[in-house]
Amino acid sequence: MEVLALLSDGFGAVGGIARYNQALMTALGACPHISGVTILPRFGTPTSPLPDGVVQQPAAGKFAWAARALASAARQKFDLVFCGHLNTVVLAAAIAKARHIPLWVQVHGIEAWEPRGRAVRAGLEAATIVTSVSRYTRRRLLSWSDISPDRVRVLPNTFTVSFVPRSRNTALAEHLGLAGKRIVLTVGRLSATERYKGHDRIIRALPEVLRQVPDAAYLIVGTGDDRSRLEKLAIDEGVAHVVKFAGEVPEADLPDHFAVADLFAMPSTGEGFGIVFLEAAASGLPVIGGNRDGSCDALADGAIGCAVDPDDRAQLVEAISAALQGRQVSQPDAVSRFAIENFASHVDELVRSLAH
Amino acid sequence: MCGINGIHAFHYAANPVDRSELIRTRDHMAPRGPDGAEAWFSEDGRVALGHRRLSIIDLSDAGTQPMASSDGRLVVTFNGEIYNFRALRADLEAKGHVFVSQSDTEVLLHLYASRGEAMVHDLRGMFAFAIWDSTRQVLFLARDPYGIKPLYYADDGWTFRFASQVKALLAGGAISRDPDPAGQVGFYLWGSVPEPFTTCEAIRALPAGCTLTVDRIGAREPRRYHSIAAVYREADALRLPRHDASDVRAELRDALADSVRHHLVADVPVGAFLSAGIDSGALVGLMRSVGQQSIQTVTLAFEEFRGRPEDESLLAAGVARAFETQHTTRVVTQAEFEADLPRILDAMDQPTIDGINTWFVAKAARELGLKVAISGLGGDELFGGYPSFRDIPRWVKLLAVPSHVPGFGRVARRLSQPLVSAVGFSPKVPGLLEYGGTYAGAYLVRRGLFMPWELRQLLDPDVVHRGLRRLAPLARVEAELPPAPASAHAKVASLESSLYMRNQLLRDTDWASMAHSLEVRVPLVDSALLQTVATARAAAPAQVGKELLAESPNVPLPTAIRERAKTGFTTPIGRWIRDARLGAAARRERGLLENAHWSRQWAERLAAI
Repeated sequence: MEVLALLSDGFGAVGGIARYNQALMTALGACPHISGVTILPRFGTPTSPLPDGVVQQPAAGKFAWAARALASAARQKFDLVFCGHLNTVVLAAAIAKARHIPLWVQVHGIEAWEPRGRAVRAGLEAATIVTSVSRYTRRRLLSWSDISPDRVRVLPNTFTVSFVPRSRNTALAEHLGLAGKRIVLTVGRLSATERYKGHDRIIRALPEVLRQVPDAAYLIVGTGDDRSRLEKLAIDEGVAHVVKFAGEVPEADLPDHFAVADLFAMPSTGEGFGIVFLEAAASGLPVIGGNRDGSCDALADGAIGCAVDPDDRAQLVEAISAALQGRQVSQPDAVSRFAIENFASHVDELVRSLAH
Repeated sequence: MCGINGIHAFHYAANPVDRSELIRTRDHMAPRGPDGAEAWFSEDGRVALGHRRLSIIDLSDAGTQPMASSDGRLVVTFNGEIYNFRALRADLEAKGHVFVSQSDTEVLLHLYASRGEAMVHDLRGMFAFAIWDSTRQVLFLARDPYGIKPLYYADDGWTFRFASQVKALLAGGAISRDPDPAGQVGFYLWGSVPEPFTTCEAIRALPAGCTLTVDRIGAREPRRYHSIAAVYREADALRLPRHDASDVRAELRDALADSVRHHLVADVPVGAFLSAGIDSGALVGLMRSVGQQSIQTVTLAFEEFRGRPEDESLLAAGVARAFETQHTTRVVTQAEFEADLPRILDAMDQPTIDGINTWFVAKAARELGLKVAISGLGGDELFGGYPSFRDIPRWVKLLAVPSHVPGFGRVARRLSQPLVSAVGFSPKVPGLLEYGGTYAGAYLVRRGLFMPWELRQLLDPDVVHRGLRRLAPLARVEAELPPAPASAHAKVASLESSLYMRNQLLRDTDWASMAHSLEVRVPLVDSALLQTVATARAAAPAQVGKELLAESPNVPLPTAIRERAKTGFTTPIGRWIRDARLGAAARRERGLLENAHWSRQWAERLAAI
């Protein structure tokens, strides 16, 4: 099968969706039933050689991208259209319909949680298969669309081998001014419009945590327009001295930041999945997440980490204190289920289901 | 007859099966199987099957389930009865299969080993089962052609769960309880929740006559292997030469006796529900004709009807005398109904406006020590006993032309609505103008509890909108018609059997009887019998009716029963329901529900619970 992949973020792009797409395109390219994958990305310019069987056209603006998609579909014979984001499903469905070929739609998180307009719903319902990054996103999708549940599969996030347990990075701790502290870490965007990651929940929990664990500190990795609000909140709560904003950290330096922490916590309410939980757990950290969204999948219902009600401060305080005091231990083995080998083999199964 | 359940953690990301969850779901079904409870877990922890047993065939431990094949490759959990299991076993033994028990369950294992998923075509009976095939790493589920035995499942994308009851699945604790608007809307439209929907978005019914496989990517699309409309269509296509009337009668009599004989296979006594109707009376007569010596029968009587024409119990007692049964008339009172109501609502797996009568007759049968009883359910669908067989073709003929005029139906309905309600006619009357021009539409009106435009007075408008879109009521009715049998009778029979009987009568019979650990068998709901009746009817329509059923026993039914006008089965239960004080008072009984038929009020109360 020859695949036309319409992606928002292709190879060379950064972020969670980009990483997911790259893993998926690599796995697709390796499937025995797939002869080739042609990627049309909105964003991303490859900086390293692409996997076997995968080619990527240059990124383009919205209209140029759509025109290029139509032109590619008209010019070349494809057997499957892969749509990497619900926002472009109308175009993908039109191509699939015009060429009489199956449509595979990928859904990630919040874009698929709330009811979408008629055109998007029709595009989605035309899909032969939909893959959702988590059970939660799948459930939300099925609540507003009438696509048959047996066409919506779960294909979870995966993580790369660069995240492994390491010895504590004391040099970095010193550099951050957190030497000798027991560190809670959150890695994520600080977005004023979203505000769902739960940085503020942790900051509000800190005074009580400090009473139980006096040497606790909070390290925030990531940047965004919500930072000033969070900084002010830390001052208001009287914990600014133990809250460190590290700003944006290059992906290559993330393993070092995991190695400086004692606990990864992100009591979020808006995760499609939360790949960062996997990276933290694979790095050997105990993990705390929310219990209301796709985080439950990343935490594997408690096998990998502890799921708390994000709005229950007492629960969050207890979970953070317990982990910092060594009462919740890391489960780096449990996270191995999300290894790339399992992901790739599942992609192969999904492709086979389309081929039959 | 039993309760079955299972969990398959099919996805690589899923945790191994939670054993306590399996047991919670299984034991929620204790009344379905009071004689034993077992569970099987695969070595890798990815598959678990549970079973609650009501022992009826092979009472020994050899019949215990879940049952594994001798090589351990296959494991089955099964609810129901395979009536032709002895013939299947003989065939399999001839092919070299070696059996270790006398149970019908073991036949399923060998038949699957021999025929794979095509095995379902060989089965005659009522069944819902799951077979774990460890070689293929596939879970295979199947449900009988009519949907006599229930089977529900939930696939959350990582883990697949199934059980005989929706409430049992929920009792496991791992499945979302989010309501399904299609189930809610369907309940109001028909008085029962139409499959494959349930009241929970996460849970679906495996449709009757379908199989399902679950592999490493999850539950695949259910595959239909039997369709009632197709049986009628094939009978039409056979175009047998017009039979001699006596040939048709003899053939059908044999087929009826054959079905009854098959339905008596058991290692415990088989009794019967008896009313004053032809269906149950003829079945009791046939039980006698095929050689059953001792027959226990049971009839319900109501204090309010004593000495009145509605009292069926005296006529039923006459039938019992004619066939020399050990007969019991069980009197049910309003006080008993009120005392039982909490248990009835608890046992009711999905909301339904019916089933209470079955609750009491099953209770009475169990009090007599019976584990199995024969019921005349299905006679009206098979022999055209409902008014719908007359009304629907008539309406379609009358309204076919105007219904093709764009907008006619809706405008006519809207204009006539105020007039119709002013003179106190049923709200269905204006519905007829909108929907009556097609079989599906006319059926929707005939069997409708509330009409689609009434729903906004009962449910949140958003629920109505989403529910109607997902349910697509007309399309759902239409889906049971292809491959379009030719005769009007066959069309109506297909709809009544695939919708009303399946979603209402059979489901109610299941929960209301299983709550008393009683297995109800329905010889008139049998795919082999259907084939013979459909063929005979296509060849000689006038010969195939209730009269023939009445004449089929060696000793025909008493004349009083045969000549009694069809009155429908009357009970005072409707009035009891009106009187019953439920915790959740009906919110909207003023207005739409004021003076409404009791079933509409009941529906609104049930939905509020």
